[in-house]
Amino acid sequence: MPEQLWFTKVLNGLFASPVTSLLRALHLAPKHATAPIPNSLAMELLVFAFLLVLFLLVRSRLSVDRPGALQHAFEGVEGFIQGQSDEIIGHHSEAYTAFLAALGFFILFCNLIGVIPGFESPTAVPIVPLGCALCAFVYYQTQGFKHAGIGYLKHFLGPSDPTMSIFIRLPLALLMLPIELISHLARVLSLTIRLFANMFAGDMVTLVFFSLVPLGIPIVFLGLHIGVSLLQTYIFVLLTTVYLSGAVAEEH
Amino acid sequence: MGKLSKLFLVLSVLAFAVPAFAQGGAETEGKWIAIAAGFSMAFASGICALAQGKATAAAAESLARNPAARPGIQLALILGLALIESLALYTLVIIFAKVK
Repeated sequence: MPEQLWFTKVLNGLFASPVTSLLRALHLAPKHATAPIPNSLAMELLVFAFLLVLFLLVRSRLSVDRPGALQHAFEGVEGFIQGQSDEIIGHHSEAYTAFLAALGFFILFCNLIGVIPGFESPTAVPIVPLGCALCAFVYYQTQGFKHAGIGYLKHFLGPSDPTMSIFIRLPLALLMLPIELISHLARVLSLTIRLFANMFAGDMVTLVFFSLVPLGIPIVFLGLHIGVSLLQTYIFVLLTTVYLSGAVAEEH
Repeated sequence: MGKLSKLFLVLSVLAFAVPAFAQGGAETEGKWIAIAAGFSMAFASGICALAQGKATAAAAESLARNPAARPGIQLALILGLALIESLALYTLVIIFAKVK
């Protein structure tokens, strides 16, 4: 039996057999048939449920004349993300605010839930930041195709200067194609590893100092971990905005 | 003392690590991985610190010259620092993937 958090035990107690049958129907064998749901998935589902309740709560309390504190907070967040994507992407960036805000909220709460005793950050296992990075990657590629149609593929040939002759532009484009493909895939890798390593290192450093000095000092590192969680969420959303601007921006 | 002599002096300290192989029961490869992990992480963190210092110094100086451009400079600084930090973190991830 693996080591489980209390919430994971609750979920496994309720849903172990249907989840195991579902996995077996897909020809996957869980490592422990009585506990197929790992800690990271249980924590992700908890964050998802919490965010759903939070968004529904805000939605039900929206008011033009007398906005409450929650509405002010969410308007602040929306203004911040909207202002930043306006600065980076330019015009027509309102369409992307919803995805960026949802991504930011999810990663932020996934990072912070580890601070509460009895819970752990799902972003401290490599698969969860990979999921977030793949979501961002698929999103900006589809937005690029939606914006430019099939002409989006020209982005992968690198910059091209129309004043140069075709005999220089063609080999240059052929050289740039593998470089661009690899750099786009490297973006997924770097987003994943940046988020995962920051959360994992924060946990490790707090544990190491807890094993050395159990009183007082680990608080400093826990505070640092909280600061790093906020910063890494901001960086993830900022980089997704930058990749979006690369995909949908037009040169005038 | 010349630069090369100083370098050899520092490297000769590594010779003190050889008695670690005298312990029975552990493969030689395990010992080298621990030493290599320590060195590579220290190297990566040191160079990362140098690069981040350069970025911060440039940002502070440009902020002093032109305080009105603060939003743009702050954005470039935070983005640059996070990207440089992630390079040092790749080394940490490799260590945790390879060292048992």
